[in-house]
Amino acid sequence: MNAKVAALATSILGVVVAAVPASAHHSFAAEFDGNKPMRVVGTITKVEWTNPHAYFYIDVKDEQGNVTKWACEGGGPGALSRRGWKKGDVKLGDTLVVDGYLARDGSHLIDARRVTLPDGRIVSGASAGDGGPPVPNP
Amino acid sequence: MRTAHPVRLLPAALAVLFLSLPSAFAQDELSRADVKSTKPAPRTPDGHPDFNGYWKSIRGTITGNIGKDLPGLKLPFTPAGEAALQHNLTATIDPESLCIIGGTPRHNASGLPFEIVQSPKKVVFLYFYSYYRTIPVDGRKHAADPDPSFFGEEIGRWEGDTLVVDSIGFKDEKVWIDENANPHSDALHVVERWTRPDADHVNVDTLIEDPKFYTKPFHYTRTWIAGRPDEELAEYSCSENNVDQTHLGFGPGAIRPDGTRGYLNPAPLPPPVKPNELPKK
Repeated sequence: MNAKVAALATSILGVVVAAVPASAHHSFAAEFDGNKPMRVVGTITKVEWTNPHAYFYIDVKDEQGNVTKWACEGGGPGALSRRGWKKGDVKLGDTLVVDGYLARDGSHLIDARRVTLPDGRIVSGASAGDGGPPVPNP
Repeated sequence: MRTAHPVRLLPAALAVLFLSLPSAFAQDELSRADVKSTKPAPRTPDGHPDFNGYWKSIRGTITGNIGKDLPGLKLPFTPAGEAALQHNLTATIDPESLCIIGGTPRHNASGLPFEIVQSPKKVVFLYFYSYYRTIPVDGRKHAADPDPSFFGEEIGRWEGDTLVVDSIGFKDEKVWIDENANPHSDALHVVERWTRPDADHVNVDTLIEDPKFYTKPFHYTRTWIAGRPDEELAEYSCSENNVDQTHLGFGPGAIRPDGTRGYLNPAPLPPPVKPNELPKK
């Protein structure tokens, strides 16, 4: 029963996400490569809770200890707030897992399609209506 | 006492689950989209339909493509129009992403919500990106040579219960007629026919004429649904932190066969992190 309910709810959310109209500030496909999904894991060094997009800047450390800086682009504050994600939910020094797609120009920029917060909560950082891939339900 | 059968509980459980999900896209378009209204359209004291309200897209609407109502989504380009499209696709960044006003008729094809504020002599449209247009409905005529603008020179009039908005005098630089980079020229003439068939919906029939770029006029039709009373536009400053403008390519990127922007089969994201895989601080 619970599994059935969860499965149904998942499919409903999937439909809702897929139905969001293309209307954002820019097309996902004009900025990001739909064939280059990736995950970055790092600590937050800066948060910009701004329009047209929120940005989270993270330091990603490799096994040798080298640090690479990444910018993660999310929806605007209005879109994120409506999903229950507030500015205070992420703090400097927090470790984020960000799943998204690499910028087409190859810079260290990904869209924060799915973000795993330090407490394990998974939130959608997608820019609603940009025509980008639907965010799989966690 | 009998135990309720799980299947009987399913709708209630589903409702609870659905309502408890993060309101991911609460503002976008899911609520009441398919509900038929039983309430008549309200009227203003002077007897016209009252368009005041917050209007949002309806689920399933193809947005962003001005040719959505044409067979095969094919716009009737002239050779000059085809050349302008190729220029937009290969040499221009979406003007709206550079914080330039989308204008008419692009805003009618947008998926974003908008508000209408109506007074006896003026109807004002307020848009999500903090843009607005004011439409006089006071009997005035078009100027002989209006200054070009993104929304054009707009003149409103009533034809029965239809608000007709006739617009000329458009800019022809840094404009896309829709989100797919289709072009328009300075010869653009747009006639919008707005109706409010009931309390919960507004319709527009948009006639687009542009003899420089299109061989014949065509229509774009659309219906929006009333937002909840607590829904309203928020502040949106497009150039506050427009980091991505330096990362955007020319044109809209991939277009799917249904005419919407985006990749048809994007590669999937990595599987979600499991609780035991969370990185340690």
